[in-house]
Parts: sequence; C-alpha cells; structure tokens
Amino acid sequence: MLISIAFANAFRGVRQASTTSLLAVLTIAVVLVLVGSASLLVENMAGLLDEFGEELQLTAYLDDALGEADLEALGEIVSAAPGVEQVETVTKAEALERFERIAGGAELLVGLEENPLPASIEIKLAPEARTAEGMQILREALEGLPGIAELAHGQEWIEGYARAVSLIRGAAIGIGIVLGLAALLIVANTIRLAFYARRDELDILALVGASRTFVRVPFLLEGTVQGLLGGVVALAVVYGAYELLLPQVRFGLELVLGRAELRFFTPAESFWLVAGGAGLGLLGSMTALVGWRGET
Amino acid sequence: MTSATGEAPVRMYHVSKSYMAGQYALHDVSLEVRRGEFVFLTGASGAGKTTLLELIFAAEQPSEGQILVLGRNVARLGAGAIPALRRRVGVVFQDFKLLDDRTVEENVRLALDVVGTPRREARARVFQMLKSVGLQHRRFHHPKSLSGGEQQRVALARALVNEPEILLADEPTGNLDPELTIEIMDLIVSAATRGTTVIVATHDHSLIDRYGKRMLRLEAGRIAEDNPAASAMIGASS
Repeated sequence: MLISIAFANAFRGVRQASTTSLLAVLTIAVVLVLVGSASLLVENMAGLLDEFGEELQLTAYLDDALGEADLEALGEIVSAAPGVEQVETVTKAEALERFERIAGGAELLVGLEENPLPASIEIKLAPEARTAEGMQILREALEGLPGIAELAHGQEWIEGYARAVSLIRGAAIGIGIVLGLAALLIVANTIRLAFYARRDELDILALVGASRTFVRVPFLLEGTVQGLLGGVVALAVVYGAYELLLPQVRFGLELVLGRAELRFFTPAESFWLVAGGAGLGLLGSMTALVGWRGET
Repeated sequence: MTSATGEAPVRMYHVSKSYMAGQYALHDVSLEVRRGEFVFLTGASGAGKTTLLELIFAAEQPSEGQILVLGRNVARLGAGAIPALRRRVGVVFQDFKLLDDRTVEENVRLALDVVGTPRREARARVFQMLKSVGLQHRRFHHPKSLSGGEQQRVALARALVNEPEILLADEPTGNLDPELTIEIMDLIVSAATRGTTVIVATHDHSLIDRYGKRMLRLEAGRIAEDNPAASAMIGASS
C-alpha cells in the first residue's frame, strides 16, 4: 500500500512540477553528454594508442658468423626473455629480399661481393613492457647474449608512447572526477529547487505524521527516474553526434595515422551511462534532502 | 492547574523555550490538560501560544523542563518517533495548510495514507468525515474553489479523520467572519465531546465567553491566568 502511494506521489511530482522535472532531466542529460563524450574520446584515443603500441618493437642485429641453426636457437632464447610477446627471426637472405622489395630492386647492392645485411631477430613487446623501464629490463636481458651484435630500439618512441598513455589515462580520471562532482552538484541543486517548490507539501505530510521514509521515497524515485531519462537522452545525443562526426574524424585520423579504428560504446558501456544517470539522479535527490528534518 | 490524574494527555513541568539566550518564548510553564478537556489558550501576539502548541506536537523541543504528550516525553523523542506521535495529534492552523493541487478528498486522505490505510477504507472514512463537517458534496473540488470556512472545515476533517486523541488549533477562526467562526468552533467543540482533548489558541475573547471552557492566558511566555472556573461549564456550550 505504502509502496503504491510512494510511486503515485513520485509520478504526481514529475507531472505537477513538469518544468522543474524537465530542467532536472536536461541538466543530467547535458552533464552526461559531456561525461559520455569525454569517455568516448579517451576510450578511442587509448584504443589508437594500443594499436600503435602493438607496432613498437625492438630489433636485435646478429653477428655475421651466426649460422641459421644458431639463429633459431637464439630466437628461442630471446622469446623467453621478460616482456617479449613474439619474436620473428630474419636471416641475411630474408633481409636482402625485404630490402629488394622495399627499394624496388637491388641496384644499390650491385658490386658488393657478399650480402651486407645482417640477420636479425624482431621482437614484439608485450603490453606491460611498453614502458621505458620494461624496455630497460629487456635490453639488459638481451645485451649479454652471445651472437647479438647490436640492439636497435626506439627508446624515445617507447617513452613518448608510455607518457601519452599515462597522460590520457590520468586526464580521463581527472576529467571524470571533475565532471562527476560538477554533475552531482548541478543535479542536487536542480532537484533541491524542485524540493523547495514543494516544501509546503512536505511540511504538511510531516504534520499529519508521515514518516521520513514516506516523504523521502517518492523524491528519491522521482530523482532516479529523472536521472534515467537524462541518461537515455544523453546516450541518444552522444550516439547522434558520433554518427554525425565519425566520417570527418575518421578521414582526419586516416590522413595523419594511416588508419583509424573508431568505436561507439558497447551495449554494456551504454547501459552504464544510463545507469550512471539514474545513480546521479538518486544521489542528487539524496543530497537535496540532506538537512530537511521532516518537521514543520 | 488541574489535579494530576496520571492519564492527562498533556503534561508540562517547568517548560521553557528560548530561541535566543536570555529571551524566552515560554518561561517556566507547568500545566496539565485532562482527557477530553477543552482549553482555550489566549494572550497577546508573541505571548507564546503558538510556541506552546508547537511543543505539544513536537515541532519544537523545550529548552528546559519536561513535556509528556500521550505519555511520551517530547524532550527525548527521537526524529523517528515524532511521526508516530503526530498521528495521534490533529493540528489545525489559521491558514488551513491545504494542498491546492489535490482535491478535498485527497487532502483529507493524506492523514490516512501516511498510516497505510487501504484505499477503499480510506475513501469510506474520508466520506464519513466530510459528511460530519457538511462537505461530502465538495469532495472532488479543489481547495481554491472553496470559501474560507469550507477550507477550514476540510483542514478540520483532515485533523480529525485519524481519530486523534488530541486536537490542537492555532487561531482556527482568525481568517473567518463571525458566522463561519461559530460554525467551525461548534465542530471543534463537538470533537471534545467525543473524548478528544482540545486546545484552541485564540485572540477572540467572545469565543471564550460564548463557550465557557477552561481558559489559560499567557503573558510574555508565562501563564498569567488559568481560569478553572470556566471549566465548570464544560458541556454547557451553545
């Protein structure tokens, strides 16, 4: 009985305070559009960085004296080193073949009596080794190995990559916290306005002996429903903007990076955006009710 | 002061209420109101009438002293226990305190909704209550479409529908013309004859004279006069 009255009162609240309800829904939607867009941006940037990270590799150039059997054996040893995801051995002949393919012929090497290109091992880094420290540990492990003449690695690239990843993750957390707090304050204040608009009703309910729960539950329900609606609106707006901007952004990224795999939220992430709206509405209405003692 | 019966629904012992240091809205007030008794509370504006009523329905806590309302010590009442007490105390104000966006029936039903009375039973009880104040035909109207006297009758119906043990009325006829005043006061007096303890705060001495009930006069927060002689006239109202 009390639950049905609570729902009826919540519905009555939304219907009667339609302007303030609409304001609350729109406020939550705007905030979630900002949070959602920022998350989508960060997620896609992190995705691009991950793709880029997969291409980071270290090359061990080998002594010319090393035979093909030794090369395979060394490849086995290297693949067991810390931070190594995958190794590919390249014989001297394969190196020449690649060079010819890239250079469009071997005219440059005409006149040389023997193949000057060294055999090598191309080492793909595991995700956790794509840092300056991870690279250092791997280098130390490889440098002592017999047969390795030189290690070529893009230390600066690696450091730059690691910095970019940590910057973007940090920015994502920072932006999330700031936007989340701002959202909570804005939503709480909007719901507080609705609360004050109906202060008389709440005082009268308290006067006739309504329990704090009886008075509060409809407000909390109202805030949750407003948040839920705000979340749905935000998801629709972010999706619309994503679809609208995707061709231009993809073209730009392809121009700069050569390729661009962009994605929208997964169904689970979309659910959390909407659920986040509901949570925000609930928290906002809880914050708005703080300080109301339920007395005339 | 009336003699202690042990059952008096309202008992105050040396109660003071101060909102600012050294300034008392009520000062050292002791009184008892017996079950079914009707008391007029009078005094000039600022004498402490409203504060005294607020202390009884636990809208305020006393600064000093003890208040027992229906056996509960208001000074020690936790926030969670206040609603339970208020369900046993009906309150009527000068400004009616009705919700304009709800019908007369819905306004009265509020008092039953908060205790979880089933809808069908609540409607029947509201109908009977509105009938007793002569407003059953107006139950689907909104308060704004009613006269002042009718609005106060709705407020009274809401205060009484839960059959409270105590009825408090703060200047209930302050906004009404003399004819409507008598109409409302007769309804309030009839509640007392059914066993409800009634305390009415009023400026209107003609009412005190007319009904001849016990009269407590407050002056600067103190009881200046407790006229028990008038209480001998209980039941002799017009």
